[in-house]
Amino acid sequence: MVLYCLGLEGTAHSFGAGIVTDEGKVLSNDWDMLKPAEGGIHPREASRHHSELGPQIINTSLEKAGIRYSDIGLIAFSRGPGLGPCLRTTATMARTLALKLGIPLVDVNHCVAHIEIGCLESKFNDPVTVYVSGGNTQVIAFAGGRFRTFGETLDIAIGNMLDVLGRKLGMSFPAGPIIEKLAKEGSNYHNLPYSVKGMDLSYSGMLTAAKKLLSEGVPIPDICFSVQETAFGMLAEIAERAIAHTNKEELLLTGGVARNNRLTEILEGVSERHGAKFHRVSPSLAGDQGAMIAWNGILQFKTGRTIEISDSQVLPKWRTDEQDILWRS
Amino acid sequence: MKEIIARGAESIIIKTERWNQFFVLKWRQSKPYLFKDIDSHLRKTRTSRECKMLSVARTLGVSTPAVYAVNLDDCTILMDYIEGTQLKQIASSLTESQLKHFCFEFGRSIALLHKGDVVHGDPTTSNVIIDIKSKLWLVDFGLSEMNATIENKGVDLHLIHRALETTHWDLQECMLEATIKGYSDTVGEEAKDILSRMEEIRERGRYH
Repeated sequence: MVLYCLGLEGTAHSFGAGIVTDEGKVLSNDWDMLKPAEGGIHPREASRHHSELGPQIINTSLEKAGIRYSDIGLIAFSRGPGLGPCLRTTATMARTLALKLGIPLVDVNHCVAHIEIGCLESKFNDPVTVYVSGGNTQVIAFAGGRFRTFGETLDIAIGNMLDVLGRKLGMSFPAGPIIEKLAKEGSNYHNLPYSVKGMDLSYSGMLTAAKKLLSEGVPIPDICFSVQETAFGMLAEIAERAIAHTNKEELLLTGGVARNNRLTEILEGVSERHGAKFHRVSPSLAGDQGAMIAWNGILQFKTGRTIEISDSQVLPKWRTDEQDILWRS
Repeated sequence: MKEIIARGAESIIIKTERWNQFFVLKWRQSKPYLFKDIDSHLRKTRTSRECKMLSVARTLGVSTPAVYAVNLDDCTILMDYIEGTQLKQIASSLTESQLKHFCFEFGRSIALLHKGDVVHGDPTTSNVIIDIKSKLWLVDFGLSEMNATIENKGVDLHLIHRALETTHWDLQECMLEATIKGYSDTVGEEAKDILSRMEEIRERGRYH
């Protein structure tokens, strides 16, 4: 009999619900992203967005998968890391459904879920993962029973950096795609701080310098071009250091910023240089969505790991390397 | 004779023979996938910086390979070949007391740099060589910096901590303790501030 897992994702600005089978078939994957009219994301507004739209998104994902509530055998939810109010809203929905349907609940680490859905799609076994989004910039690889963060940002995440810059340049949220488009029209490179420290990097100095270019009257396409080349170059370097250091033979690119074609091109170059296979997770599975939570829920459930509702409090600061990855040992 | 002995993230390490002696030729190759101005700037500045910092480190009492020639056009450095093994490769086969000894020495070497306001910039166990006489050498100074602040030093220690937890997860407590001991004993008073900065940096990048 097929096991259907409903996965609920709600760590930040997106709420998603997805149905995945125990054979790794993604039957549905629906989400909605809060787009504030101006400014950044307020955790309270995001959590309100999740509670208002969540039930409808869950219903839609069941309809698209062609199953009824009674067919669901497992509920998985994003337990962390993320914004407290968003996590709590999502966890409440997951707990309620698990209780009502009388089925097991599984807690999933959001970052680990991104990696595993990428492995499902790419058929990679043991990649170095570059996970880039609004809130995360990490280079992760599996070692000694856990996913370990080999490198990360020392200050702001790449997506956040692009959004903050975009706001300054008068763009709407998310700014990444607009910056990518304008960068193609830019050709004059302006020097920006390139800050790599070991396998870590830092974007705050570059952001400040890029804002300064605007006040100096540098055309916006040139700013976008210079920022992309610098920011992605730094990311390529830490990915490259992680590959050289771990000797792994696969490179996986995931997260919302994985949509960027220039970043993809650079990382393809890195893979080629090191004789590694490369895969960019497709947009529908790269952003924050429920299918990745559902798939990870299944992987965990197969090792016998579920969680009691009384123990299922959310973990806003849950680090990638804090979970034993039982299904890979 | 020319033999590639390591392929790093930004360079190729070639063992070569000249004047009846072995040398290492470190070659920072061009990366076609990077924007050309960034690529050539990085290759040149890191090559010249590495040459300088290998010497600066030696004046501070840290064993580093001596530089014999540098070519900033093709970004190569000819330096001493150290016959030995990376600490990364031998850590798990050492006895606990040997491992503690080398980690202590590693911490001491980083401390000597920091006392001279120099940071290494990439202090992983891949960049620590134990030679056949059990002497410890530091290599790969391409990310090294002078006039280091407490922040720079804190980052250096954070990178050591990170390298130990990712690469030597099963030995990390023992290794970290011995490294920090070697470091603190040598740095003295200032160590407390730098260590607390390291903790602060560790927390900073995390998703909060």
